[in-house]
Amino acid sequence: MDEIERTIERLRAEVRRAAVSGDRTRARAMRAELREAERAWDESLARLEERPPASLGSAPVDQPGPLLPVREQVHQALTLLGTPAAQRLIIAVHEAFFGSPLAAARLTSLRRDEERSFRAAPYSRPYYLCTALTADLLAPARGLLAVSTWPIERRVIGPLSPRVNYLEAAIRVAESLLRMPKPSQAAERLLRRFAANIPGAADGARPKDPHLVVAAAHAELEIHSAEDGSVRREAAARARARLDDAEQLFGSRMRVIPRTGTGA
Amino acid sequence: MSTLTALARARAVASAVAQPISTVRHVHVSDRPLVLIPLALAGEASAPLAAMVGDDPGSARLLVVAQPRNRDQRFAFAAGLATVILGYIDTFRSAVEDASSGADREPRQRFADAPQVLVPNRAGIGFVRLLGRSTRFRRSDGEYAVDPAVPVLGRWLTFLAERAEYPGSCLLLAATEALALHWASGQSPVEDLNLAALLGWVDPPSGMTGPEAAAAAEDPLTCPPAGPATDPTFDNEVLAPLIAACARADGDAAAHRAEASLRAALSGQLTPTWKLMWRAVGLLRGLPPGGRVAPRWDADKDAFTGYVTYLGEGGPPQPRRDSAVAAARRLDWLERAQAGYAIQRALDDPLVMAEYRMTGEAFAGTVTAAEPGRIDGTGRRRKLRPLITVTTEDPVRIEAGTVLSTPGRPGQKALVVSVYAGRPARVVLELSGGMGRALIPVPGSVPEVGDRLCYTALSDSYQRSWPFPAREQTPWTHGGPPPEYVPADEDASEVWS
Amino acid sequence: MTIEARLDHIRGAVPPRNHNARTIAALTSNPGCARRAIMDAAGVDKQRLASCAGFPAPFGQSQFAITRGNAFEAQVKANGCAELLRLLREGLGLPLPEVSYADLEEVGGNTSRELRHSRTRGLLARAAASGADAGTLFDHPLLRLAVAGQQVYLEPDLIAFRLHGQFHVVEMKSFAVIDGQADGDKVAAAATQSAVYVLALRELLAGEGYGPDTVSHEAVLVCPENFSNAPVATLVDVRKQLTVLRRQLSRLEHIDSLVELLPPGLTLDLKADEAGVAGRPPAELAGAIRTVPARYVPECLATCEMCYFCREEARGATATLGRDVRDDLGAVETVHAALGLADGTLDPADDLAEAAAMLQVAARLRREALGGTA
Repeated sequence: MDEIERTIERLRAEVRRAAVSGDRTRARAMRAELREAERAWDESLARLEERPPASLGSAPVDQPGPLLPVREQVHQALTLLGTPAAQRLIIAVHEAFFGSPLAAARLTSLRRDEERSFRAAPYSRPYYLCTALTADLLAPARGLLAVSTWPIERRVIGPLSPRVNYLEAAIRVAESLLRMPKPSQAAERLLRRFAANIPGAADGARPKDPHLVVAAAHAELEIHSAEDGSVRREAAARARARLDDAEQLFGSRMRVIPRTGTGA
Repeated sequence: MSTLTALARARAVASAVAQPISTVRHVHVSDRPLVLIPLALAGEASAPLAAMVGDDPGSARLLVVAQPRNRDQRFAFAAGLATVILGYIDTFRSAVEDASSGADREPRQRFADAPQVLVPNRAGIGFVRLLGRSTRFRRSDGEYAVDPAVPVLGRWLTFLAERAEYPGSCLLLAATEALALHWASGQSPVEDLNLAALLGWVDPPSGMTGPEAAAAAEDPLTCPPAGPATDPTFDNEVLAPLIAACARADGDAAAHRAEASLRAALSGQLTPTWKLMWRAVGLLRGLPPGGRVAPRWDADKDAFTGYVTYLGEGGPPQPRRDSAVAAARRLDWLERAQAGYAIQRALDDPLVMAEYRMTGEAFAGTVTAAEPGRIDGTGRRRKLRPLITVTTEDPVRIEAGTVLSTPGRPGQKALVVSVYAGRPARVVLELSGGMGRALIPVPGSVPEVGDRLCYTALSDSYQRSWPFPAREQTPWTHGGPPPEYVPADEDASEVWS
Repeated sequence: MTIEARLDHIRGAVPPRNHNARTIAALTSNPGCARRAIMDAAGVDKQRLASCAGFPAPFGQSQFAITRGNAFEAQVKANGCAELLRLLREGLGLPLPEVSYADLEEVGGNTSRELRHSRTRGLLARAAASGADAGTLFDHPLLRLAVAGQQVYLEPDLIAFRLHGQFHVVEMKSFAVIDGQADGDKVAAAATQSAVYVLALRELLAGEGYGPDTVSHEAVLVCPENFSNAPVATLVDVRKQLTVLRRQLSRLEHIDSLVELLPPGLTLDLKADEAGVAGRPPAELAGAIRTVPARYVPECLATCEMCYFCREEARGATATLGRDVRDDLGAVETVHAALGLADGTLDPADDLAEAAAMLQVAARLRREALGGTA
């Protein structure tokens, strides 16, 4: 064990020196050796203690018996929100209203998996988790997830749409909170964060009043909804006309379909 | 910075070892200081990662936060640190001494000694300040309760950090600054901020020159940084995997193992600095203390006593920002304290006085003529006013009519009657005071021909501060009287993420 | 040989290092150093070079700092920049209808720089031309700046937004503002980086026919408040930094005059093999580096990867002790000369007579006070 420890010390120093000298190849090689040494140390220790070794670098431990697969949980959260949303918000909503926290790592490959599944057997599932489309280029909007059963208008992102979606999400969160007999702390926290960023939704007192949030969100929505709506309708029409089924769900990557007059 | 210290640096370069820039020690060094070496997590305002702390070289306590982003663990760390630091401070709350001065009507007491905390560098003082700020408003009850010792620690850390701004105060010292006050290295002041490098110059190990020792000190692999910042390659290659392992560990045994590995790594980063700190303490103790170190430490003891009393009476934690009056008063205090501190060191130390001799604000020379019995009969009463002539090589820039004094004769004033500026210069001084009450001077009270003396207009006599309005009378131009500080719920729940 | 070809030759057979705002900002810190100017113009990997010459540099970034920075930025920009909008509305009076957000990171899945840059140009030009409805927030714009004759692509992690017809650069930094105060050095560094983006943005709009006033000289600095992740925004005036930057960049334009002075075949090529292992002997490499004059000052230790190499080279110069100490020594070049003047063993030239006298007085005073051992 002592010898492994000495090896680990030496390798740590080598990795650090390689990093400082800008020698990335050597640093990578040394790092790999270091991981090996650390694993060997852990195994020796486990043998001494007669316990199963903790595997370094393994995937995070499963939550005790999730009730639903990840795609179902994401679908639940998105259905509550009613608008395309980013990973962070989806996770926060799920934790607030559906109990268990979603592990972020599981969402990263979700979109790709869903697209592959759709292309392999289109419409074989009741819904797919898909992307939102940018209004100007009908390309996949970065970082957002949406539900395939929504009309394209709801899945299109124009310049004002991120804000509009945020306000609509606030309303849906507030309304869901009102339906809960005893709202969780996570739900209250989520509402507080929305309230802080919507003018007129926070009156300084704690806890935040959901009715106030709804009213304030509606008030600001009125400013943006007309213009946002027309951009979305125009984009949706273009998408129906020019994109195939898969592209309508997952965006167009190969061809850039700009609105006439903008130029790329 | 002056020509003298610059010359000392040049000499250090040539001789490959640091050169003294003082002949006495100008800081108080406690018999039992508390060495505190904090480490912070990169990228955060004040996320503690670890600390090594103790009042004895053989008894270092290591405190570690295994998951630095976890709020509960941070407060557990703060509670652990509180146990050590408050325990240390408590040991100074028993013995008292008499502190009355002539001006007091009633006898006054203060604690006979005060705590002294030593951190490696100025950044360490900054960490103490921030940690104090992030903990002093916490509450031990309610929704965001913490261990009751935590807000108390916060107040003490803030008190120490504020004291550290006062020139001459020694309750909280940075080792690099204390060393740099007494030695000039052969590197730049920027490089002196590295404790290991500075010590390499001041006290090179046998077989190495100063620059060699300093160069060795710059390799973070053999000589970890003194903190609070950690070395980035340590963070990336060692710390991050260990912290990840702590977070991943499932089961008590695995968690225990992971934390033990983390502690070992952090101990490896802190222990070398721990040894350096005690070496610095030893080097400072090796210098004889200047005469005014003890009175300055008395002032520190007064401040300590005052704060203990204030806390005992239930005083609220220090507000976030100074009120207008407090800010102005503090600034004025700091300016006068800075000037006063420099003068005190000059009066204690001929090498520091030499800087004023270079600018002509002081001169040292030999008495070449003396009239010890001279009487001034012009006024209503006859007065004893001896005359002496001092001859000096120094570039004198003092005018006739200025009142001077000499460090060795504090009660005696010397009025400049005339100056013959030349090389050498001759200054005629009329003396008064410190010679007894009669018209004949007490033997030895007047300088004699051949005596070598230094005269200067600088004095460290107490100056009344500019009258500041009381808090309640803050002028409206400065926002009016500040509201009374009432500890608020928001303070206790302030996020520390 | 053209200047570009010569710079390529100096760099050797590797692709040039990309500039970013931080490295451009660092150019302003030591304008008088030809070695740095040449290396930066040629795109040399200074970290590798210093290491292969035997003087590895003490620089690196902790992943904790990077992670925290990324997390803070992601949080501020989440949900159509909801938190940023609040800051801009509350602090700068951004009107409620102005919430339009455009993400310029990808162009339909294509991330080629030319494409991104031209899309950025198009959208920003359109915003400048029309009124308030043509765009408020522009995320991941790809800007360009002419540096030493090269076009450098700059990707701010910031957003340019429009308020009252003016664009503002927004910079997100994860150092904290505590009780209204932040670390002065960090704010200064952020200000300089923002100035780089302001310049680049002005250059872009100038190409579309818009004057410099289209871009405000006030950048918006967004930092965490106190000990939390909640952001707070401050306006930072970067006019001073703009002046310094422009001056330094124009000096770099005249890099040809510096290059002319170098030996014709000079190269700093590391002669690396296929595995990337450097093959050039360190002593030879050091010799090549030394043909390009440097101007070492202690500040280099915080800003340039060649610092240890140049410091070693400068041993014995008073500049290594810092500008203040050098000035206090009468601005004499070397430590040896300063000591010689102080001891009287060196005869001063006329312009150094005063300095010599001062040094001699200092030497005498030290000797007296230290009892003859000074």
